Formats: sequence, C-alpha cells, structure tokens
Amino acid sequence: MSLDYVKFTPGFGKFMPKEYRDMVEHGPFGKKVSVSQVGTFKEILEEHPMCAGCAMTLFIRLAMVAFPNAEDTITVGTAGCGRLAISQAAIPFVYGNYGDQNGVASGLTRGLRLRFGDRPKDVVVMAGDGGMADIGFAQTLHSWFRKEKFTTIMLDNEVYGNTGGQESGMTNRNQVLKMAPLGKKFEKMDMLGMAKVSGCAYVATVVPNNPRRVESVIKKAVLVAREIGPSYIQAYTSCNIEYAIPTDKVMEDAKTVETDRYKFTEYITDEAKEYLSQLYGYKEYLPKPAAAVEKQ
Amino acid sequence: MYLVANIETEICAATSCKLCTQYCPEANTILYDNEAGQDKGFKYGAAYVAVDRCKGCAQCVWVCDNMAKHNAIKMEMIDQIGDTALTENVTYGEKTSSAVLANPVRGQG
Repeated sequence: MSLDYVKFTPGFGKFMPKEYRDMVEHGPFGKKVSVSQVGTFKEILEEHPMCAGCAMTLFIRLAMVAFPNAEDTITVGTAGCGRLAISQAAIPFVYGNYGDQNGVASGLTRGLRLRFGDRPKDVVVMAGDGGMADIGFAQTLHSWFRKEKFTTIMLDNEVYGNTGGQESGMTNRNQVLKMAPLGKKFEKMDMLGMAKVSGCAYVATVVPNNPRRVESVIKKAVLVAREIGPSYIQAYTSCNIEYAIPTDKVMEDAKTVETDRYKFTEYITDEAKEYLSQLYGYKEYLPKPAAAVEKQ
Repeated sequence: MYLVANIETEICAATSCKLCTQYCPEANTILYDNEAGQDKGFKYGAAYVAVDRCKGCAQCVWVCDNMAKHNAIKMEMIDQIGDTALTENVTYGEKTSSAVLANPVRGQG
C-alpha cells in the first residue's frame, strides 16, 4: 500500500528472482504508464494458470496497466476464473467468500479511509458474472445503494466457465451450454440499468477489443470512485472454452459481439463530469461554452 | 513440441504498430525493443516474443494479419524457431526492453 512495500530489504536484492527485481526496478510503481507503452516496462501481472487466448486475461492485464495509482490499489475478487490471474499481480488481492466481494470491499474502503484519510487508496472489485449478478447480487446492489466509494468491474463471460458451463444470470436467452442443454429460458439481466437506478456515478460497458478504451474507462471509473460514488464497468470477456471459440478467433468474436450487442456505452453523472474535468483535466466533460449551448 | 509466436523483425520494424503487445493476453510476453531494427536501417524498433511465456493462442497472429494487416507474426514449433528471446535474457531500460537471443531448447550458447 505504498511504494515501499514492494522494495526488497537492502542487501537481499541479489537473492530475489529476476522477475521480482525487474518489477521493483522497471515496474509501473510511482510512474505514469499507459497501454501504448506496454512491452517496454515490467508489468505487475505475472504468469498465471488461465487458459491460452482468454479474453478475460487480456482485460485483466489491461486493467492492471490502467490503474491510475497501481501502488495504492487493492483488488478484491471471489471464486471464478478471473481470480486466477488477478491474484498473480504485484498488488494486494483480497479473496472474498463466493459472492461477498462487494461487502468485503465496502469494509475495506471504509477502513482505508479511516486509516489513510484523504490519501487516495483505490479498491477495485473484479469478479465474474456469477459472483456478481447471481450469488453476490444482493451484496453488489446493496453496496451501490449505500454509495460505497469503490469500483466494481464485472468480467462478464456469460457462463459459469470454471465449473463446466452452467448458465448464469448474464447468459443470453436461448443460449445452449454444456450444462444448459435446453437453452436459457430467461433474458440476460440488465445490470447496467440496475447500476444506474441504484446510484452509480459512472457506468460503462466495454469489450477488450479496444485496449485504449479499456484503459480510459478504468481510469475514469477508479477516479470517480475516489470522491463521487460507486462506479461500475461491465466488460465482455468471452469464455473461449465454453463457447468453443478458437483461440486465434477470440478478438474476431469480440469485434462481432461489440458491433452486435455489446456496444460501448458510458453513463456519467453531472457531478462526476465536473469532478473529472476540474481535477483531472478531462476536456470532454468540461461544460460547453454558452454560445454552443444556445445553438443546439 | 508446441507452437509459439515468432515475429519477423524486418516487417515489424518497418511499421511498428505495437498492436500485438497490446492485444496479447499474457503479461510481459510480447515485448518491445526500440532499437531492434536500427542496425538494419529501420527507423523504428520491433516487437519480440519471450517464448517461455507464450501459450500459443495465436491471438497476435490474428491481430497482425487482420487489424494491422502486416502479416509479421507466424506460429512456429519451439524446436525449429532458432535463437529467440527468453524471460531470463530480457533486460529493461529507459522506455524500452531488449533481449540477448538464445536457443529456447538448448539454452544460451
């Protein structure tokens, strides 16, 4: 939780693995890094056991690069594929019981604010659609209604990928899966609508098909959650195993799904717009000049 | 044996789009060397693959062929790839990284 926690004790550096030394000396801590610079610095995400070509892994990797202050960030997760990679990064990871990740994050955020005052410590929940929309649904929604100031990211692969392919609340209607042979009988849950109704200050949908957009969305969501209120990102991260997508066609699928039914959307409250434009220089949210408003 | 991605330095250094580094699902796998093409007269650097981290998904191949349209990446068998980058031989510098190439099967030398 500070720049120092990753550094090794003086004299012990030479005994540390190369990856660790690289991370301390050439990692993103204390610097401003962007997605366009990847490949030239040591990323905080390390090797992990997730499947080859997994779009969720790509999203998590981009998220780890996009955190505005990686050294002051804690991730919270729960059971699901995502935690296999999120836990392999050089930032603290808290593993909640299945479904209580938003409850854990609520306590954590409040505790950090008590302990560190106005020094921003970002809490980011990253969990799957099962953990968030089915089993952790109540805790997720309640944390939004309570206006808990942290970011919630749903890694929406539209299936229980880790347990053999059962339908989740976020699976599309009529979708046939290994453990849903007759097809799903209900519509995909409208978590975006619920996030807006329950008072999230920033809500966005994104597909990892566009790395720079993923970066921008995550930066905004984390910054808004520092001061204004809860933020929610819903990311389409296909499961190439359960949906039988060849690994080299994962990005093609992402592109098709993005144009078809997972378009980029962004909802931001006026208060959050003002905050981002005043404090962090987001020019697109600056109030329009009076002349331009009159013309409309 | 298994397939890993291999990037053609000459094609990559002529364009330098960096898309494959951004789309690789594995962290620290497709890296970027700002000086890779300079000895051959190219203005930009080139991407290279730390093959010990590559899981062989070939997403970079699709991105290079269809999004960038450079066709610089091919999947090749690990024992037929020749000298290539390994994580233990990668060094990071100021806004770049570079690797001493080694044979992935026999090791360095």
